[in-house]
Amino acid sequence: MTVLRRSNLLRLVVLGAPLVLVAAMILGPLAIMAAVSFWKKTGLTMKPAFTLDAYATFLGGVRFTVFLRSFWMAVSSTVIMLLIAYPVAYAVARKVRPDLTRAVLFLFSVPFLVNYILRTFSWADILGRAGAVNDALTGLGLIDAPLNWLLFSEFAIYLGLVTAYMPFMIFPIWLSLSGIDRRMQEASWMLGEGPMRTFLRVTLPLSLPGVFAAAIFGFVGAFGEFAVSSILGGTGYQLMGNSIVSALNVINYPLAAAMSSFSVLIMFGLLLAWFRLFDLRLFLGKIMGRS
Amino acid sequence: MTRSLKSRLSTWAVWLFLAVVLGFLYLPLFPPAIHSLQGPAVQEGGIWANYRAIADDPILVGGIWNTLLIGVLVALVTPLLSLLIAQALRAWKKPRLILGLVLLPLFIPGVSMGVATALFFRILGVDPSLLTMAMVQVLWALPFSTLVILTVMANFDDVYLEAAHMLGANRLQAFFEIELPQVYQGILGGGIFALILSFNETIRTSIVQGGENTVQTYLWSQYQQIGLNPTLFALMTLLIGLTLVLVALMAVLEMRQARMRRAG
Repeated sequence: MTVLRRSNLLRLVVLGAPLVLVAAMILGPLAIMAAVSFWKKTGLTMKPAFTLDAYATFLGGVRFTVFLRSFWMAVSSTVIMLLIAYPVAYAVARKVRPDLTRAVLFLFSVPFLVNYILRTFSWADILGRAGAVNDALTGLGLIDAPLNWLLFSEFAIYLGLVTAYMPFMIFPIWLSLSGIDRRMQEASWMLGEGPMRTFLRVTLPLSLPGVFAAAIFGFVGAFGEFAVSSILGGTGYQLMGNSIVSALNVINYPLAAAMSSFSVLIMFGLLLAWFRLFDLRLFLGKIMGRS
Repeated sequence: MTRSLKSRLSTWAVWLFLAVVLGFLYLPLFPPAIHSLQGPAVQEGGIWANYRAIADDPILVGGIWNTLLIGVLVALVTPLLSLLIAQALRAWKKPRLILGLVLLPLFIPGVSMGVATALFFRILGVDPSLLTMAMVQVLWALPFSTLVILTVMANFDDVYLEAAHMLGANRLQAFFEIELPQVYQGILGGGIFALILSFNETIRTSIVQGGENTVQTYLWSQYQQIGLNPTLFALMTLLIGLTLVLVALMAVLEMRQARMRRAG
């Protein structure tokens, strides 16, 4: 009996300690950041206090414009990413032969694993005035002078954001599409609905948990972005990530913490909505098999 | 007849669409390689001049060592941590809570997580070092590595563990002799995944880097301060190449696993 209890205790420690450690390393920093956002900035350092100064600076100044721009860019680029990722996921789940599914998904994941900052450097190169696209277009005689709007423009930002974050959005959508019971569609066909209405009224609603998860990934990435904006946006173009880094650079930690906490709060709101709106058992079950 | 033509056309359209999207995703992998073989140094010193220049730059060499050191550390710690978490997940049946915690870093913007960890270390009085850089990377790699291990463990039937218990094995014996041989490829896969993510992480690392650099943080700071040069393009090419090799390795593991599953 004691042997059993001791082995249970050992198990509790061996399995519990890493969890506690991970929880401390993830939640600890977030809690401290939230606390620091209420602290007072004093010269080059900061001191514990309870003041809303940092939030006032953030919400009342030019940084709030950056926030609004970030929010809009994140929403609009997430819509664009979904418009690409959904058809891709749908094609992989429904049109590609099952024995090729893994291979095709794999092909989509490879570029995602290469640091997107390096890939974004490449876009600056490809889109520049002397870059490959302008070379090709002038070479073909389609344009007389290099296009200026390719680089340092919203077009470039969208392209950078989409290639950076879209690949990762394919998986959750594919996961929920491939989890749909085919008999649901067959039932819809048998009841006389056409393919389009079947898609809109059966397949699309059932795939929404994955779509929403994908949207969160895309939104979070685009919203906190710093690299794509500074490489492809041109001088002075800022998104939320740049604004936070610039607050760090002037050693205004409470301000950086306030802006970061604000971003994390938005993200928590989205996550909470995802948990409340959808039944995620299908999703978790797919990842964890029988259990 | 027309029907089969139509279906064949639609199949072609699907593949064309996938190919175009893939084209856009793969295109940015090539320019660094092209630039690494150009520039004044190449005209004087031959085609590999930019690559040789890497070895002549002590800062770069130091950065490469740091990258490798941190990478190995992350690749060892992350899968072990993931394995323990996956075991806890199975033992305690609180998937929402545990998985929610581990997957959380996926949903937090990199800059925000970097700021949070930097403040955390600062207030605890931990100085930035290679170790703090490795820690933020472990947290970043953990969700991916845990998902890899969970999918492998999902294919392992718990009945074998029960059988082992009934034949008198204790928990540790059952784990090491029965389960581990079945899931070790997932652990290996999780480790390689962590290594790939470590080699390709910039922002979380750069906020807690202190005086040390990895290749990625060095590339980013150089870009911001003076811009890129052919040597840096050579370095990027090596990073991209190494990442692709590791990805291929992961794919081979995955295929072997799939074959084992079919055979078993």
